Amino acid sequence: MARPRLGVVKFASCDGCQLTLLDLEDQLLGIAEQVEIVEFAEATSARSAGPYDLLLVEGSVSTPEQAEAIVDLRRQAAKLVTIGACATTGGIQALRVFADHDAWRASIYPHPEWIESLATATPIADHVPVDAELRGCPIDPGQLLEFLTATLLGRRPRLPDEAVCLACKRAGSVCVVVALGEPCLGPVTRTGCGAICPAFGRGCYACFGPRETANVPGLRRSLVVLGNAPADVDERFAGFTALAPPFARAAAAGLAAAAATGGDDARR
Amino acid sequence: MISATEAPAHGPGFLARKDLGALFALVRDDGRRLIGPTVRDGAVMLDELDGPDALPEGIRESQTPGRYRLEAGRPGRLFDHTVGPSSWKRWTFPPTVPVGTTRRDGAVVAFEPATPDAAPLAFLGVRACELAALAVQDRVLLGGPVADPDYAARRRSALVIAIQCTTAASTCFCTSMGTGPEVSDGADVVLTELDDGFVVTAGSRRGRELLERLPVRLATAEERDAAAGGVAAARAAVAANAGVAAPGLPSRLMAALDSPRWADVAERCLTCANCTLVCPTCFCTSVTQRSDLAGAETLSERTWDSCFTGSFAAVAGGNFRSRPQDRYRQWLTHKFATWVDQFGTFGCIGCGRCVTWCPAGIDVREELAAIAPPPRAVVTGMHLPAVTPAPDEAWLRPARVVATHRETANVTTLTLAWEGQVPGAGQFVMAGPPGFSAAPISVSRARRGAIEMTVRAAGPATAALTALGHGATVGVRGPLGRGWPLERMLDRNVIVVAGGIGLAPLRSLIEAIAAERERFRDVTVYLGARTPRDRLFVGELGAWSAAGIAVTETVDRAGADWLGRVGVVTHLFDHAERLPEGAVAAVCGPERMMEATVEVLRARGIPDERIFVTLERHMECGVGLCGHCQLGRFFVCRDGPVFSIAELGDAFGREGL
Repeated sequence: MARPRLGVVKFASCDGCQLTLLDLEDQLLGIAEQVEIVEFAEATSARSAGPYDLLLVEGSVSTPEQAEAIVDLRRQAAKLVTIGACATTGGIQALRVFADHDAWRASIYPHPEWIESLATATPIADHVPVDAELRGCPIDPGQLLEFLTATLLGRRPRLPDEAVCLACKRAGSVCVVVALGEPCLGPVTRTGCGAICPAFGRGCYACFGPRETANVPGLRRSLVVLGNAPADVDERFAGFTALAPPFARAAAAGLAAAAATGGDDARR
Repeated sequence: MISATEAPAHGPGFLARKDLGALFALVRDDGRRLIGPTVRDGAVMLDELDGPDALPEGIRESQTPGRYRLEAGRPGRLFDHTVGPSSWKRWTFPPTVPVGTTRRDGAVVAFEPATPDAAPLAFLGVRACELAALAVQDRVLLGGPVADPDYAARRRSALVIAIQCTTAASTCFCTSMGTGPEVSDGADVVLTELDDGFVVTAGSRRGRELLERLPVRLATAEERDAAAGGVAAARAAVAANAGVAAPGLPSRLMAALDSPRWADVAERCLTCANCTLVCPTCFCTSVTQRSDLAGAETLSERTWDSCFTGSFAAVAGGNFRSRPQDRYRQWLTHKFATWVDQFGTFGCIGCGRCVTWCPAGIDVREELAAIAPPPRAVVTGMHLPAVTPAPDEAWLRPARVVATHRETANVTTLTLAWEGQVPGAGQFVMAGPPGFSAAPISVSRARRGAIEMTVRAAGPATAALTALGHGATVGVRGPLGRGWPLERMLDRNVIVVAGGIGLAPLRSLIEAIAAERERFRDVTVYLGARTPRDRLFVGELGAWSAAGIAVTETVDRAGADWLGRVGVVTHLFDHAERLPEGAVAAVCGPERMMEATVEVLRARGIPDERIFVTLERHMECGVGLCGHCQLGRFFVCRDGPVFSIAELGDAFGREGL
């Protein structure tokens, strides 16, 4: 049986999720035995135009050129899987959606007319059908390995859509909301990271995006009752997954509040 | 009061605080890891301790709904706190434990159950409510037909050193649940802390032997009085807290399944599962697989799960509890009502962890008071009877596929060589190919030496099952559950109604009846399928008719080439002039189809006691230990899957249960 052809491509992103694949050092040779890596700019100069049995896509669509490229790639891919916060929710660059794109472009580039960027940075699923998502900023190497293994074996990959809280409590971490009053987005955020931030006494900032049944209004109320300023709570949603539908409203409110107070804070 | 524990011949002893190190040394000499309270990350946690210096000296907690802070307690006191977010279940029932390994070498497949971790432990500082929690988990994990071998090994080896509470948090309500604050039984040694040491009593022979090796002198009358005074102070403090009106609560709560408060609490509830994870009695788990890339070795692990997750009650094609209000109701009614039906005690022991550690500050005491208001009755305690451990059961066993038969485009019947107990009609097995999770599959035919499973490819695991060829090996646990009540059908008319794949568990019933046809009166089988191409066991219908079983078929949709009836299965009854007298009905199909069928059967005069259905639910273990398939007071795997409508009562067809 021929090995499945694997491609890894990127759009607007930092390449960190692709590097997660390279970080699977102990398994990398095994993966290379099980699949044929035909396109992966971070690892090999060999290029391929497809077709791909499995295509991992990093990054969000932020230029007109990218919007066309993803449609073409979808045609080449039997299974298209988005990896990371950018590809699955738009990423940090999606904060432009909440701001005046032209004004920002003019304030940064001497010749803004040379910059062909869209006023939005949107998840891949807004453009083409996606077969599976690996969330996170960056993705979790364990989840990536689980996904590849399960795909090779034909079983359903275990990518739970539950809250971060379950992994946090299983790990024996103390709840930072209850014990420290930290604004933690764990209760509305999808698990997968291993609950790293609460293990170090910090609140979750939702880099894996919303979980199934994310009760954002309920969490906002609770965090405010526990002593956080409403604007601070809202601004916490304005991060790596701000454009995800359950978070977008709170993120917009947080950014508006930050802008009203002025200063550098507004441009975070 | 510590009178209930077994005291040494001359009454309680006294252990000076400076000699506490001797206790640590003894425990370690016995080869035990000592687990006890210590301050970590702003909370009193239960961790492995090196010595008495690690105990939380002079620390007290402030606990209110959704808020926990450490404060200064009485100087020098080591146990002035109450309960933090961790509980002893982390050691008796760890978050993740291996269940077994599947190894595949070519065509050879082996299933090896995991060996329980038997490293003996000692628990220092167990509270009365926590002893009650251990007893509750004993009943759940050791007291059923199948015991959890890992829990059994850990629990039996653990030395339990209890501490009497002399303080209480505002979230404590042990007096409501009858579990404290006084330690009654379940501990090897009981300590009560005074300013300069501990009044000690033994609660078991193991405890007495330990005390004999420690520098313990007889306690003075003043010391005994001071100890009793400390516990009395704790009782007074708990009694002043808000509580739960436990007597009669199960029936009040189950009568309030339609309370508008469920939707109200769902707006506040984050379904984050923290309450269930800090709860010392919650036992629900899932089994997950980890394989190497080639699939040669797969490790199955059991992991803490929660009825608050979206996937908890999901099956291929649906979710029995999709709404947050369904999940909160499931949790609260289980803790305070259906747990009593299942295990004879409440699932709550009044420790208040779920109150403190809910980030939304939801207080079960308040919700219970709103949903199931207390009567004007006196609150009394709950008794926890002794546990009878049950024998352990093997994990998956290999079974070889000896024949396959494609029934429809996505349904295949697998014949497995079978050396185990012959399943009864309507029983099921947990089955999965190597590397996959096991899924509940009903046995569609059973005879000595072979069983058949008729499987619809609904997800990857069932798709992999249907794709198996002759000679392949499947992991199987079973036969499991309660099947069709054949004895109730003897000398009676029998009506069998099947929708789609629902015919699989009914085929075994029909064949059991056919084998002894003369012992039953009129037997009528009504079959519904989506289209003519979805009909199952088509080649066998003639044999059923020949055996004197009337078979009527219908399909939901059909082309011109179908000459039979078209319409949903319940329409078949419209053609029957009247149903036979005193009939017993067996129904299986999609839940909506079963609801509609039951309605028609009732309307035709068949009482609920004689209508039987078999239910589908999410199952991880199949033996009543994982919690997923709970329906009210039942675990569908253990108490069903076949139930009479009378048994199910309100639970049948109710959304979100």
